[in-house]
Amino acid sequence: MTFLPFYGINVSENPTYEGDDMNKIKLVYEGKAKKVYETDDPTLAIFEYKDSLTAFNAQKKDTMQGKGRLTNLISATFLKLLQDKGIPTHFVKLLDDNHQLVKRLKIIPLEVVVRNTSTGSLCKRLGVEEGLDLVPPLVEFYLKNDELGDPLVTEDHIRAFCFASKPQVEKMKELSLKVNDILSKYLYERGIKLVDFKLEFGTDEEGNIYVADEISPDTCRFWDLSSKERLDKDRFRKDLGNVLEAYEEIWRRISQPKTTTQKRYEARLFIYLKEGVLDTQGKTVLSSLHSLNYPEVQDVRVGKYLKITLNSPSHQEAEFKVKKMCEDLLVNDLIEEYAFELEEI
Amino acid sequence: MKVSVIVFPGSNCDLDVKWAFEVCCNADVSMVWHTEKWLPESDVVVLPGGFSYGDYLRSGAMAAKSPIMGSVVEFAGKGGLVLGICNGFQILTEAHLLPGVLLPNVSTKFICRPCKIRIEQIDTPFTFLYKQGEVVNFPIAHHEGLFYLDDTSLAKLEESGCVALRYVNNPNGSLNAVAGITNASKNVLGLMPHPERVVHPLVGGQDGVRFFKGINEWVKEIRR
Repeated sequence: MTFLPFYGINVSENPTYEGDDMNKIKLVYEGKAKKVYETDDPTLAIFEYKDSLTAFNAQKKDTMQGKGRLTNLISATFLKLLQDKGIPTHFVKLLDDNHQLVKRLKIIPLEVVVRNTSTGSLCKRLGVEEGLDLVPPLVEFYLKNDELGDPLVTEDHIRAFCFASKPQVEKMKELSLKVNDILSKYLYERGIKLVDFKLEFGTDEEGNIYVADEISPDTCRFWDLSSKERLDKDRFRKDLGNVLEAYEEIWRRISQPKTTTQKRYEARLFIYLKEGVLDTQGKTVLSSLHSLNYPEVQDVRVGKYLKITLNSPSHQEAEFKVKKMCEDLLVNDLIEEYAFELEEI
Repeated sequence: MKVSVIVFPGSNCDLDVKWAFEVCCNADVSMVWHTEKWLPESDVVVLPGGFSYGDYLRSGAMAAKSPIMGSVVEFAGKGGLVLGICNGFQILTEAHLLPGVLLPNVSTKFICRPCKIRIEQIDTPFTFLYKQGEVVNFPIAHHEGLFYLDDTSLAKLEESGCVALRYVNNPNGSLNAVAGITNASKNVLGLMPHPERVVHPLVGGQDGVRFFKGINEWVKEIRR
């Protein structure tokens, strides 16, 4: 897309959007998935989400009725969540199914991509396997330039050509990783794996940086935690079908209150010493076995077994909680490793 | 000097260390129950020896998550003196105030006896009254005293001069015979030997007196 110095929409003091009565003064930009309107407040803009779907730099196009509504609602939910957790975003309020009010910002001409799992262009570019866990997550910068197909740029490129300042790059990175933490956890609790996502940033008059644009299945990859089913625009890119249904599924999972019906689970947790850590108990047991005439015994390592019974709304949530317990108290990762089986009882 | 001794369920050297601070430097010692959230005004915080939580799960693991530990970590972060003796050392490692972990002794036995300890670092608030390389007699009494740390971190610890005390005849199999370590800024010390058990001829020695007197002098120096 072409670089857009400002987007924004103005709304009156107390903005209420009622169709044509709204102060959508002038269409200032129309992109692949959105229209941006000025309002009569120079600091605000209105986003209108369109029903169109595009991929591969708009070489592939389609329209799906209701898609604009879903991306608008999903994006508003995520931006609001981030704001509640202290991340500055351009989101002001939801106006209706297809419109949201946002701060008018100067957009930094970079897209920041955070990747938790290898897939898509990363695999194509580097020839790496798909589905590898990336710990810590990868942060990549792409130049927003449709003619060039949004090329990958390094921090040196960004500095050399002044696409953004060094503090801006650092801030974007820091915010992107925080956003990743917040969204990953939120989605995990709803049975969704956040595989990767794209963010855009903008600055206000004072130079403060905000997360801008949208966060939706158009700009993220969501996989169902257990089935690994794609619940994002990859369904459209790869002609997997049921595109709208996948978007609806994401909206369903994040709009419904978390299920409160508690199920009972049993976790059978094994904690064992890492290879190479001296196990005096194991050595003692080994020598006892030898003295009882079991010369075939080569080694004994003694570990711990814990049976934990817990209530949880879902298998994923229970798994998440048991992992957290291990990290918080049960396992010392300097010397120990663990594994567990989890079963509904 | 104001000293706070944190008392956990299963601590049993808390009154000994209180007495040592009183006898050696006439300190004003408060006993602080582990469920407290805030420390009283303190110059030194002590995590005493014992068997907090019965040594269940891992020695010191549960004590390290006690409500009071948040304040102790904060106190250490501000440069306050924190001393962990024996089980207190185990708690400091579990609370990540010091690196490493204490594993069961290589002999598999509980060891309780006098022990020759070499003072390796006198550049700390706890040991500056000793001579560099001086060998003292501090008793040990532990089952989990084998200091363990991965090779790289251990090398870093040695390089940065954080190994404050070393066993002369490594009784428990500690890597590099480590008996006590400090953090990088030297205001947190954890050690397996018990200096508080050698502060009076009646209890078998006085090698620990300078340990407590040193802390007192250091604190007075800071106040000045």
